[in-house]
Amino acid sequence: MLPPSGTWAIGRYDVTGQHVYFEISWDDWQHDVAWARDMLASHGVGPRSGLVIVGGMPESPWFDPFETAARELGAPYSIGETYAFEAFRTGVYARRLPVTMIFGIDRTVAEGLADELAAVVARVPVIVARPDAAGLLAEAGAQPFIVARVGPAVAVECPQRSGAHLNGAQWTLAERGGELFLSTAGPRAHQVRDAALGLRGTLTDGPCGCGRTGQRVTINE
Amino acid sequence: MPDDRYFELEMETMPRDRLAALQQERILELVPYVYERSALVRKKWEEARVKPGDINSLADFTERVPFITKDDIRQFRDQGHDPFGGLLCTGYADTTTVFSTSGTTGDATLYAHAWDRWHPFWAATARDLWELGVRPGDYVLGSGFKMRGPLYHADQMVGAIPVLVNTGIGGWATALDAIRRYRPVYAQLTGLALAELDHLSRTNDMKELFSSFKGVAFAGEPLGARARSQLESWGVEVYLWTSTGDVTGAWECGQHDGCHAWEDCVLLEAVDPAAGTPVAEGELGELVATSLDNLVSPMVRFRSDDIIRMTRQPCGCGRTHARFWPVGRKGDETIVAGRSFVPMDIWRALEQVPETAAALFQLVRPTREIDELKVRVGYDPETTASVPDLRDRVAEAITAAVGVPPVLELLPEPELLARGRGGKLPRVVKS
Repeated sequence: MLPPSGTWAIGRYDVTGQHVYFEISWDDWQHDVAWARDMLASHGVGPRSGLVIVGGMPESPWFDPFETAARELGAPYSIGETYAFEAFRTGVYARRLPVTMIFGIDRTVAEGLADELAAVVARVPVIVARPDAAGLLAEAGAQPFIVARVGPAVAVECPQRSGAHLNGAQWTLAERGGELFLSTAGPRAHQVRDAALGLRGTLTDGPCGCGRTGQRVTINE
Repeated sequence: MPDDRYFELEMETMPRDRLAALQQERILELVPYVYERSALVRKKWEEARVKPGDINSLADFTERVPFITKDDIRQFRDQGHDPFGGLLCTGYADTTTVFSTSGTTGDATLYAHAWDRWHPFWAATARDLWELGVRPGDYVLGSGFKMRGPLYHADQMVGAIPVLVNTGIGGWATALDAIRRYRPVYAQLTGLALAELDHLSRTNDMKELFSSFKGVAFAGEPLGARARSQLESWGVEVYLWTSTGDVTGAWECGQHDGCHAWEDCVLLEAVDPAAGTPVAEGELGELVATSLDNLVSPMVRFRSDDIIRMTRQPCGCGRTHARFWPVGRKGDETIVAGRSFVPMDIWRALEQVPETAAALFQLVRPTREIDELKVRVGYDPETTASVPDLRDRVAEAITAAVGVPPVLELLPEPELLARGRGGKLPRVVKS
């Protein structure tokens, strides 16, 4: 292979219908992988685990670090796409493989699993879901943890269930009137200051029972 | 280091005798390994009374080793309660990724790899992107689907920067914004993407939008004549690619004279679909693939059901690896009222009718021989003034192509697209 360019990829998120593009450098990506590895490890992911990571190609800026982290932790993983007609694939993996965690399942896939959802929930010990799927999964018998895209960042609940952790070395959030605003904290390629995200949520600061410090966010759907 | 034309000069232009020696070396390593570890291989070989000691050359391998079919894998999976259908040579815990086939022809089949930095399925694709003209620092549009893993690994291997926006179903309207902003040099297209671009071409200057592109890759199903012509009218050079029996990809080079199978990754054969014997160079045969770079769940003489023509003559581009031309799927030939046709006949007929020119259709065929030609056709609701009138014209076009009047189920394109899987619309369905 050739020496990588300085840019890992370009991602995009939308704020009230407007596209916001953001650059991820290889250094950014390595920081994100290290943080993802720490978060997955706190859920017990290791060589005896098996994951289904539900995230489409355009969500790779948020979810590739978790795929890479799973690989680095020695946990085999499969990928489920976030289309309704692709929900069957998440079901196939959960049914046929010794899957210990589904990470990133959203409402589209949860609804697409239809009658199979309850069986998937019963079979897979740890489900880390998008906020829009949490209610549906709870109705099906799960106690999902939360993973949420927060603009260009990502937040993940630890086993304490006390809000989704943000990587404080890279990002900080502010909340005003229930609206969330993001700033870059680390030396990332994509620098923003107090950028509106079009998301509503609440913030918790201070130490978590897991030992991490820094902000935790709860996204209000 | 890559040169101006080749990403891996020595491998891509390796003389045939050295390539054959490399394949033989890898096959002779694979034979005892897979016999010891793959339950399905051992079962098939024992049934055929073949032992690893019988295989001492490439010729022994292609003459004596039994084929494995998709039905063999499914049957073993269902009877043995083995999710990998007896193909896995390691424990699940020793794999890195488990992905699956598109599932367009049945329940998705699992396949696994172990890897460190770059996913092996896409590693050789870096050679193809280099040939297409992708260079360090170029922006490229991310592909629409991830079910086979991170295709952007190939982009990153050549030093390009993937722009990861939605180019899957329903994403192209907003992908055009990314094209305007980053002026990428390459994108992946599927038939479903082309249907979206066809609609967008009514309100966008596609020639200007695609003017930064060195090429687009197209895969998943045949490229219809109208779609090819439309892409060419936008100034887009199309590189077809396809799968080699789910082992790796095979892409056209700039000569557009067959898809290059990278024979250091896959042993490729073309056999008579009925007799299983080798066909002469250039004759129609079924693609049979053996993995040469996957020790986790290798395919061993896997019959792909893909009908191809193949040559091992050197290509005009200087590459020496085998090339093949996909012709269709085994079993796609259908007989209705004593007349034989293939799905491409319906495809061409629908391209002639403006409202169905995207050729989104499904042949509803419970068995290969049918009494009634039932076709589910997608139409563009924006340009369809009268569905009854459209029904008459579509029926006329199909009757002219096949010789039998069809029973039509007309659906707005979005409704039909919702029946797709993995970026493809199954063209032959049972119901």
